[in-house]
Amino acid sequence: MTERVVELPEPGLRSEPMLINIGPQHPATHGVLRLLCELDGETVLKVTPDIGFLHTAFEKLGEYRTWNQIVPLTDRMDYLAPLMYNCVYVMAVEKLMGLEVTERCKVVRVLLMEMDRIFSHLLWLGTTAIDVGAFTPFLYAFQERERIYQLHEAYTGARITTSATRIGGMMADFPEGWTDSLRNFVETFPKTLDEIESLLTTNGIHLGRTLDIGVISGEDALNHGFTGPNLRASGVDYDIRKDNPYYDYETYDFDVPIGENGDCYDRYLVRMEEMRQSLRILEQALERLPDGPINVSDPRVSLPSKTDCMNDMESMIHHFKLITEGIRVPAGDCYFAVEGSKGELGMYVVSDGGEKPVRWRIRPPSFVNLSVIAKLAEGHLVSDLIMINASLDIVLGEIDR
Amino acid sequence: MGLRDREGGDPLSLAEVQALGQAEGRQGGLLGFGSPTFLTTKVDFVVNWARRNSLWPMPFGTACCAIEMMASAASNFDLARFGMERMSFSPRQADVLICAGRVPYKLAPVLRRIWDQMMQPKWSISMGACASSGGVFDTYSMVQGIDTIIPVDVYVPGCPPRPEGLIYGLMMIQEKIRHESLSDHYTLRAEDPSLVGRPHADAEEVEALAGPFGNSTQQDHLTSLAQTTRPERSEDLLP
Amino acid sequence: MDENGSAFDAVERGPEGSQRPTGAPRSGNGDPAASHPSVTALRARFGATVLHHEVQAGDQHVVFVDAASNRAVLEWLKDDPEHRYDLLVDVTAVDYGGGSPIQIVYQLWSVGHKRALRVKCELPLDGLSIDSVVPLWKTADWLEREVFDLFGVDFRDHPDLRRILMPQNYAEGHPLRKDFPLRGRFSRAEQTRRALSQDYHDDYTPEALEVGGAPGLEPPEPTGSIDGPEEAP
Repeated sequence: MTERVVELPEPGLRSEPMLINIGPQHPATHGVLRLLCELDGETVLKVTPDIGFLHTAFEKLGEYRTWNQIVPLTDRMDYLAPLMYNCVYVMAVEKLMGLEVTERCKVVRVLLMEMDRIFSHLLWLGTTAIDVGAFTPFLYAFQERERIYQLHEAYTGARITTSATRIGGMMADFPEGWTDSLRNFVETFPKTLDEIESLLTTNGIHLGRTLDIGVISGEDALNHGFTGPNLRASGVDYDIRKDNPYYDYETYDFDVPIGENGDCYDRYLVRMEEMRQSLRILEQALERLPDGPINVSDPRVSLPSKTDCMNDMESMIHHFKLITEGIRVPAGDCYFAVEGSKGELGMYVVSDGGEKPVRWRIRPPSFVNLSVIAKLAEGHLVSDLIMINASLDIVLGEIDR
Repeated sequence: MGLRDREGGDPLSLAEVQALGQAEGRQGGLLGFGSPTFLTTKVDFVVNWARRNSLWPMPFGTACCAIEMMASAASNFDLARFGMERMSFSPRQADVLICAGRVPYKLAPVLRRIWDQMMQPKWSISMGACASSGGVFDTYSMVQGIDTIIPVDVYVPGCPPRPEGLIYGLMMIQEKIRHESLSDHYTLRAEDPSLVGRPHADAEEVEALAGPFGNSTQQDHLTSLAQTTRPERSEDLLP
Repeated sequence: MDENGSAFDAVERGPEGSQRPTGAPRSGNGDPAASHPSVTALRARFGATVLHHEVQAGDQHVVFVDAASNRAVLEWLKDDPEHRYDLLVDVTAVDYGGGSPIQIVYQLWSVGHKRALRVKCELPLDGLSIDSVVPLWKTADWLEREVFDLFGVDFRDHPDLRRILMPQNYAEGHPLRKDFPLRGRFSRAEQTRRALSQDYHDDYTPEALEVGGAPGLEPPEPTGSIDGPEEAP
């Protein structure tokens, strides 16, 4: 065998830039996102995200639907935390109507929203772990998600597309024993979370893939419109549950985790801690869940009881009109935001006093978060780009709407 | 006559087996009699058996259905039981295209290209109401059923279908493969090369399939339903 | 059923709290009692540029400013230490239809002061052009592109004003305008045909094409018919 001499390239040698398409059909883009990357070797010079591959025209369709008919559209937008979207939409409409829901309904919605925060973070955790090369956390996370699926199904009849809220309340009260199942989940879930954390938090590969990757300062993050865990990982203390509380969040005892470095690892840590804090809120909400009606008794929005409809002509006409014409919302506009699982999730509803909205707008947290990826990924390797994309926790259904 | 269960049940020694075989007039003795080294069958059967039990799905997941598809692949439902643990994200090595979720027009050329890139033989599943018919999204941006773009073998209804539904759809694909024959496979699955990158359905068919149905566009109360015509497609008549 | 008389009456009477005739583009009750510190300061600072102030949904303050000076007003709101609306939550638009002007809506939030403010500018349909606020908040980049895509509002000085959700070659107009039909302007067959015959140039920015060169993405030319067994030579 003859000896071969390999000539190494000189350091600092620049090659021709190269154009690479990632997506729209790619397992690491978490949906149908297209990233047009300009590469120098393996270094990303520039990323141009191309979105709209899942543009479903929710906002246009909403203008053709009555107010309550929009609820089923909301959970098809973010299928990772459907109940949260159900809730925030009706909360915005209720605020525009000046409608105060019952105490029980408030706590029920807090329960559902916090449960779905865990639901969404678990999917993020599983898919992100796959992106760094770990398959086991995905299986663990889906095992736990399956339990929340069952909770969804026991309450709403559907695994993902829950459509559980109505303006003025919920579609129904919890079935018997549901809170016990949720309590059981709250008690046993931390064990699995610990197991997943022991697989990732101090794992050398995971640390290597996430530490100091995709760093953004707090000021930049705010200027770019980051919200939610992504913003808090950069050290900005902004959580709508604390800063502009709704549904008595100020009376719940929980902490808001704040990161320091604003890199992928901090975003990971913040979300892991958020799941634990959500469990604390769930515990307290289960404790205080009051008895009483779940729906308001306001003739503008609530249907008369079935018995009344059968025995009373006026109730029947009332029922008929509410169903066929839909409820009417006073003229005006209202922006209502909650702390969603991915950031500030707002709904902006505009009414002209009719049965359908003039405009229904979703303030999309992932849309704004994703727009920062070009800045975050610059100068990193392609493999880091995948990690950065995963750490932003995007859902394409809501980005493209 | 087995090797073990002669009267008392003691195993036979090799010499005994050979002796027994020679007594019955067989060359080579009893070995090879109880466990045949060959079997006769049809090529169709073997090929279809192999094909249907190692389908590699190409998961084209876009929206909610993709989450259910992931749930199907995860531990509770475990697609691997059907020989599908290998999700093939490259269309070149896939057998079944699972189109899970909404497909807007902007995504339609991507879907078509992926279908064109897949090797024959290939099958496709349209998972969920949106992929099958546009679902509730009868809007300006949505493809009204992916069968206008690519041919579809199995439609799985639901919004989204449960993992059991998807698995049932995959089993229907397996059933379909079981009934296919190599002799008519070509005529069944041949693709017109001039259709690469072009819609699967022609213009009239698209109009018929995508016509306004129900009260999706006329949401004013109690309006009459829009008229639709039933599409006639030649493939529907094929087995 | 309750003290309001019958429930049937309540439905017939319609929504409560509505202060304006249906369909008019301006709404709300400009409640002078509930004043917002930023609005008071804006009035003092900008005078006649601040057109109108109203309170919506109980406690949400909306201020209408002249579209010509949107950037000046927003810049002041962002940088003035007394107000410091450092988070641009949302930029969107509302078309009320019937030829009324399109409203551009800026939803602001001050993290330090924990205050929200909604700023609106009205653009007539024949002059859909407004200054971009990307120099102030980077958030506005994609949000303004979306408004451009769906409403056709031109943002002056926007660094990269292209369609964002619809394909670049989308020819049917701006979908969220009220005169746009829900199912689009073209027939489904035409939409399908157009979707599948997209030119690859539409998928790349001009700079990207310069870097990567023209990709060979054309579908192969049709070569004859199916050469099935019976047609094989």
